[in-house]
Amino acid sequence: MTDFAPAAASRLAGLWKALEEPLRGVDRPLPARLAQAAVSWTGARRGALYLRERDLWVRAAVAGDGAEELELPDFSSSRAASREDTLWIPLAAEGEVHGHLGLEGLSAEEGAELAPFLGLFLGSLLGAHRFSRQVKEADFEVRTRLVELESLYDLGLSLGGQLDVSSLADEVLFRSISLTDAGKGTLALFHEDGRLLLERSLGGQLLPPEGFASWQLPEGDAVINNAAASVPTAGVRLASCAKCLAVPISVAGRRLGVLAVADKESRDGRVLDFTPADARLLSLFANQAAAAIETARLHRAAIEQERIERELELAAAIQREILPRSLPEVTGVELAAASLPTRQVGGDYYDLFPLSRGRLGFLVADVSGKGVPAALLVSTVHAAVHLQIDEAKTVAELVARIDRHLRRYAATRKFLTMFFGLFEPDSGLLTYVSAGHNPALLLRGSGQTETLGATGVPVGMFPGSSWREVRVTLSPGDLLCVYTDGLTEAVNEQEEEFGLERLSAVVAGGREKPVRELCDRILEKVADFAREMPQYDDQTLLLLRRSEPPVDPHAG
Amino acid sequence: MSEVCRVAAERRGNVAILSTDGYINNQGGEEIARQAYAQLESGASALVLNLEKTRIVNSIGISILIEVLEKVMDRKGQLAFCGLTPTIDKTFRIMGLAQYAAIYPTEAEAIRAVATA
Repeated sequence: MTDFAPAAASRLAGLWKALEEPLRGVDRPLPARLAQAAVSWTGARRGALYLRERDLWVRAAVAGDGAEELELPDFSSSRAASREDTLWIPLAAEGEVHGHLGLEGLSAEEGAELAPFLGLFLGSLLGAHRFSRQVKEADFEVRTRLVELESLYDLGLSLGGQLDVSSLADEVLFRSISLTDAGKGTLALFHEDGRLLLERSLGGQLLPPEGFASWQLPEGDAVINNAAASVPTAGVRLASCAKCLAVPISVAGRRLGVLAVADKESRDGRVLDFTPADARLLSLFANQAAAAIETARLHRAAIEQERIERELELAAAIQREILPRSLPEVTGVELAAASLPTRQVGGDYYDLFPLSRGRLGFLVADVSGKGVPAALLVSTVHAAVHLQIDEAKTVAELVARIDRHLRRYAATRKFLTMFFGLFEPDSGLLTYVSAGHNPALLLRGSGQTETLGATGVPVGMFPGSSWREVRVTLSPGDLLCVYTDGLTEAVNEQEEEFGLERLSAVVAGGREKPVRELCDRILEKVADFAREMPQYDDQTLLLLRRSEPPVDPHAG
Repeated sequence: MSEVCRVAAERRGNVAILSTDGYINNQGGEEIARQAYAQLESGASALVLNLEKTRIVNSIGISILIEVLEKVMDRKGQLAFCGLTPTIDKTFRIMGLAQYAAIYPTEAEAIRAVATA
């Protein structure tokens, strides 16, 4: 014992000296430095160090020429043992074997003397190294979980304010790939009708874009397929990956898209299986994405609606300016008019023009289409009529001039029906053109109703069109009713139209009433008929009655 | 952003600037490590990693960056990051990379800091 202690101390000092330099070295991994130090210190020809890796002993380092040939025998004990010319020393500490060192070319005596030192010393170093590595790995794992949590939190915050679906998709996809350690991934979003809205991929597409919409992933569940190369994933073969994790993006059972990641990486280059923890994480991302995408969609819809309403309000304001604020006072004529748009802006237009020699020009027009484009055309028609009315010599010429004006200046290719009348109260002569317009009603004082039908095609429909003028004479008390089809085509709950017959009856029934009162009565009757049914066309009405001549107190 | 991470190296005195473009995963991390070690071997004492064109890093990539950082520290060198997205910046801080490697908004600031240190 007394002889051994100094010898042991000397040996340990020698071992420490041999290890000092390799332990400080940073160019090679610790196992390589230890193997080299052990060979140098013992004077062995060559050596190999085996470490445990997932239940297997694998060669971690060699020292000396041809040391790769030193194969670890199948050990059944933890004691040093020689096989052929190689001494195998278990490197143990705290009752656990951390590695095996094989040294070739030592004598049995040398081996017996050195093995305990090497086993304990290198075993302790490896144990400490392993423990340090485990602590680092555990720390890394904890930090990684923290990144996941922070990422979910951040994603919720950033998605809440993110209204650009494209950026939103990138954000969700990148975080999903990153936090599952996937090598690739794809996010696809669909329109409400199922068509592909957008697709984002990193590392390559998992499916051709048209394949996503038909990918029937089970609602609310992530699908793990760790044999994706050979087994279909939710019915779809993914040829481009080995392992896959996919989850639908849905809101209240409505499918918004698909989020899928594939080929989970490991440090040593293997493709790892996706785990239930990965599936939970991806599902959380999909839920966040679904809520954000729905919010963005609703926000976009609200903005669009607001924009439309603003445009319509503006157009309605313009149209209100276009429609006459009051009706002209014309001797020998009683007038009433009204126009009810079904939306903020309609495509109906009426106007009246007191002319020379007591005459009155008037028109009722119905532009094709609705909303802003129709309002723009109405505005163009209004400008055209006011520009051309003094230039044209006849009603037919006026309509032809309006037609040419529209072809030249109208921003949209649309057409309009129009009834234009020129009334001479003195004689009762009405000259009119009906450009494809609904038949106007002429209620004679006798109670008989005549219809004034179209005398040509709608304005703006065919180039080079012409219109026929028709003249009729109105006797005192005769009533002309010009209207748009929004009145006669108003529908009720039984989908019946109000129709020309009902209109004629109402007009006839009120022929004794003042025209203003009759005008209101007609609109009321139509409204009563339609009740709560929404109407899709504007309703415009113009009534003109030739007045009875004033009674001459001196006559007779 | 490139699907395969590309790494471009530039040397200014003892400072090596590695600029990445793409996903820093196993492949991207290995490429960074390969070029970083080559720069250290050829005498660089400071590394600047410019991640301006990288928007995504996974845990494998981070573990490799930690290895690179350890190697630089073993050699008493310096490592600085720049051009990080807010997400990557936060990730690096949580993962402990920012404890031993400084993060700068721009490459110029990073180079100035490690070159004069």
